[in-house]
Amino acid sequence: MIEVDGLSFRYGDEWIFRNVCFSVEAGQTTAILGPNGRGKTTLLKAIVGLIKAETGTVQLNGRIGYVAQRAEIAFAYDVIDIVVMGRAAQVGLFRTPGKTDYEHARQALAQLNLEQYADRPFDRLSGGERQLVMIARALASQCQILVLDEPASALDFGNQDLVLSTLRRVAEDEDLAVLFTTHFPQHAAHIADQALLLHDRDRQEWGPSSQMLAEDKLEELYGLPIQALEYKRDGQSGVTFAPLYS
Amino acid sequence: MENIATAQVEKTRFRPGLFSLLASILVISGLASLAIGRFDVPLTHVAGILASNILPMDPWWSSVEARVVDLIRLPRILLAGIAGAGLAVAGAALQGIFRNPLVGPQIIGVSSGAAFGGAFAILISESRLLLIGAAFGFGMLAIVIVYTISRQQGRASILMLVLSGIVTSAFFSALVSVTKFVADPDDKLPAIVFWLMGSFASASYDKVFLIAIPVVAGSTVIYMMRFQINVLSLGDEEAQALGLKVERTRWIALTAIALISSAVVAAAGVIGWVGLVIPHFARMLIGPDHRVIIPISALIGATYLIHVDNVARTAIAAEIPVGIITALVGAPVFGYLLRRSANKGWTTE
Amino acid sequence: MLNRIGVFLITWCMASSAYAEPITITDQRDRKITLDGQPERVVTIPIPAASMFIAVDGGTKRLAGMHQLSKTAIKGRILQKFYPDAMAIPSNITGKGFSFVPNVESLLALNPDLVFQWGHLNDDIIDPLVNAGLKVALIKIGKESFTRRWLQIMGKVLGKEEKAAQMIAWRDEVKDQLKAKTDAISPEERPRVLYFMNYLSRLRVAGGKSYNNFYIDLAGGKNAASELGLFAEVGPEQVIAWDPEVILLNGFEAKLSPEDVYKNPLFADLSAVKNRRVYKMPLGGYRWDPPNQESPLTWLWLSKVLHPEKFDWDMAKRIDKNYRNIYGQGVDAADVKNILRFDMNASAANYNIFAPDGN
Repeated sequence: MIEVDGLSFRYGDEWIFRNVCFSVEAGQTTAILGPNGRGKTTLLKAIVGLIKAETGTVQLNGRIGYVAQRAEIAFAYDVIDIVVMGRAAQVGLFRTPGKTDYEHARQALAQLNLEQYADRPFDRLSGGERQLVMIARALASQCQILVLDEPASALDFGNQDLVLSTLRRVAEDEDLAVLFTTHFPQHAAHIADQALLLHDRDRQEWGPSSQMLAEDKLEELYGLPIQALEYKRDGQSGVTFAPLYS
Repeated sequence: MENIATAQVEKTRFRPGLFSLLASILVISGLASLAIGRFDVPLTHVAGILASNILPMDPWWSSVEARVVDLIRLPRILLAGIAGAGLAVAGAALQGIFRNPLVGPQIIGVSSGAAFGGAFAILISESRLLLIGAAFGFGMLAIVIVYTISRQQGRASILMLVLSGIVTSAFFSALVSVTKFVADPDDKLPAIVFWLMGSFASASYDKVFLIAIPVVAGSTVIYMMRFQINVLSLGDEEAQALGLKVERTRWIALTAIALISSAVVAAAGVIGWVGLVIPHFARMLIGPDHRVIIPISALIGATYLIHVDNVARTAIAAEIPVGIITALVGAPVFGYLLRRSANKGWTTE
Repeated sequence: MLNRIGVFLITWCMASSAYAEPITITDQRDRKITLDGQPERVVTIPIPAASMFIAVDGGTKRLAGMHQLSKTAIKGRILQKFYPDAMAIPSNITGKGFSFVPNVESLLALNPDLVFQWGHLNDDIIDPLVNAGLKVALIKIGKESFTRRWLQIMGKVLGKEEKAAQMIAWRDEVKDQLKAKTDAISPEERPRVLYFMNYLSRLRVAGGKSYNNFYIDLAGGKNAASELGLFAEVGPEQVIAWDPEVILLNGFEAKLSPEDVYKNPLFADLSAVKNRRVYKMPLGGYRWDPPNQESPLTWLWLSKVLHPEKFDWDMAKRIDKNYRNIYGQGVDAADVKNILRFDMNASAANYNIFAPDGN
């Protein structure tokens, strides 16, 4: 669904990344990890088409839905009005959303179990709920590809779990290709099939999460010792990561 | 079953009750204003004069009374109503597009741009069409300048916007002064000065048509774009990610706004505060959705300016400039609304 | 021969002593200005001051500069005929239009001994002149008593006190004569008069505190807009509510004519329009609407306009006689028609009562 080949980008004379190659299939989730300033957000924007890459190609086989890092909304619209804006591309200039558009919006809300919030002002929601509304808005556009910029990084544990688990369920239900950036390897381990590590502007590693999310690779990526911790409790199992702060 | 429920919910979201209420208030205000004025015309005569425009009937009123109602009050009320609706719609759309509650046609420089365009047109010709054309052209240019100066990395901060507005307004005001300086003092100069002051006192059906065509056209475009303005208000990047052609959409909207504002300036001079206060008030009343705010603002704006002009033309024998009243009422009301409306429509963050 | 030289010497001594003696005047802001002697180069910035100066001095020699709008009242009118030289006097010392801000350097270049300036406006138009070392006399507008004072000041400065006194006496005489007759006119008999200071772009009328109000009263009318202050913008409906019986149009809007009022559909029902009693204010040595050296003629003309059955002044004769007193030159029938604006007023009701040749 997403095919990135030799993508390079620079601000003026400074290259942010060069020759990035990876792909995401339908039903797959890919996480992008890298330290601050390595160009995670820039890479997403180049893929979505918000900025123009210097060289390389991005092939997208399907409608793309983008959820930006921080949802700043000047007006406290009601949730349903925000979700229906996901239909902007389908609605067309000089038109307003009709019955079908509202059906899609309400379906998207239902999918994320947000029906009861439909008529609430956006600014009355918690951070996690807001993030879900943004995902619902993307879904309302009937996208096949979902691109999210740090969907859970600014949330507390509970909301992190809420957003990530919901994301995983929706991706499976809808057979979406999901691409997201994160600062937390455990988020990637939780829902991503593949991971892309942005080590350097010229060096990226891409592979299955199980291989990429290894202690040595993460230590190289973040420049400090990191301990992988396997857990198994109450029928849940997985891996999480602990940085060993100096 | 599900569909019907959805349809009902969507219908009530747009508050048809409130619409009819405000529309009735507007119509009643307009009719009542026909009976107000310095010249005494009994209510029954006003009613008769109005009816006689549609139905043939023998007058029980004098020809002076008919003239006052038909040729002075009616065009004046129409002019004030159209101007009020236009300014409020332009203000609501601007606030959405610039994601900023402090934006109005005046602050954004359109008014001074249009003022210069009109003054310049008077200087070089006597054509009314050129006047409105030049007012529009330079109103538009002012918006472009403010927009270009204030935008940094795709967004316009409140401060940058207000500052660029001040800069642009100051520049065009200086150009207006230049125009006055070079104008022929016997002929052109008084014409420019009087035009700039603006007033509804010289209302005529000519002027009503002059302003109605661009204001109605511009407002229709804005109304048709009410959903796109919602999307634009999310910010450039999100709007673009949602599949909106941001630049094209915004320019169409800004063109329509410049058309409305400059037509109002051309017909009635610079009237401040209406475009700023009315959308705010509407938002407090019914929330931020531009699909509702834009038509509601039009109704409230028209009603408001009709009443302001009622005061302007009847309070004392002399005409009170409309702009003085809108500023006197607007500034404190706006301050109050700003404090109160923190949670009504604008996000608290 | 000796005798003639003696006369010459005496005259010369008198003249030189007159010139050398310092003159002290008190202007209308109660400032004392002392001149070394009679000024030879005077600049007037207030618009009506130029023609009044010419009238008091009986010539243009000592007028070194004037306001641009002073000159437009001379150009093509009677003063140009009387004093063709006036057209050569510089008039580019202020900004355009009703601006009284002088360019100090242009003014200094004219090397004036005395400058007349408005005293009721902003001090910013005065201080730069004083700071530049110029002698500045300040005058004010609005009341008949102010106008008398102008004449006194100019008379004293120019050594024409006798002529100024004559001009003042003429004002008093006509005023008293007229007042005696019009005081007897009851309020009901007085027509409602409305003076438009602006008409073309907007409607601005003279209120109760204006000079126009003074002479409307004096001439036996009553100002329909007396409830207003000086000058104020009004709506057409207010004009209809007042229903003026006589309308006076200002002389400043050059293109404004009674036809503009007659053909305005809004005003079709006004008494003044129905009875064709809309008049353009005459323009003689200056516009007759503001106070000027010919004001008594304005009052007489207006009284006859308002009460043609009560007054039968021979305006042609009076203009001719008083112009000889003021300017030293008389007028012919064509001049009179020109001054009384027959070009615009001829179609007014009964205006032929003003015709110099009786038709």
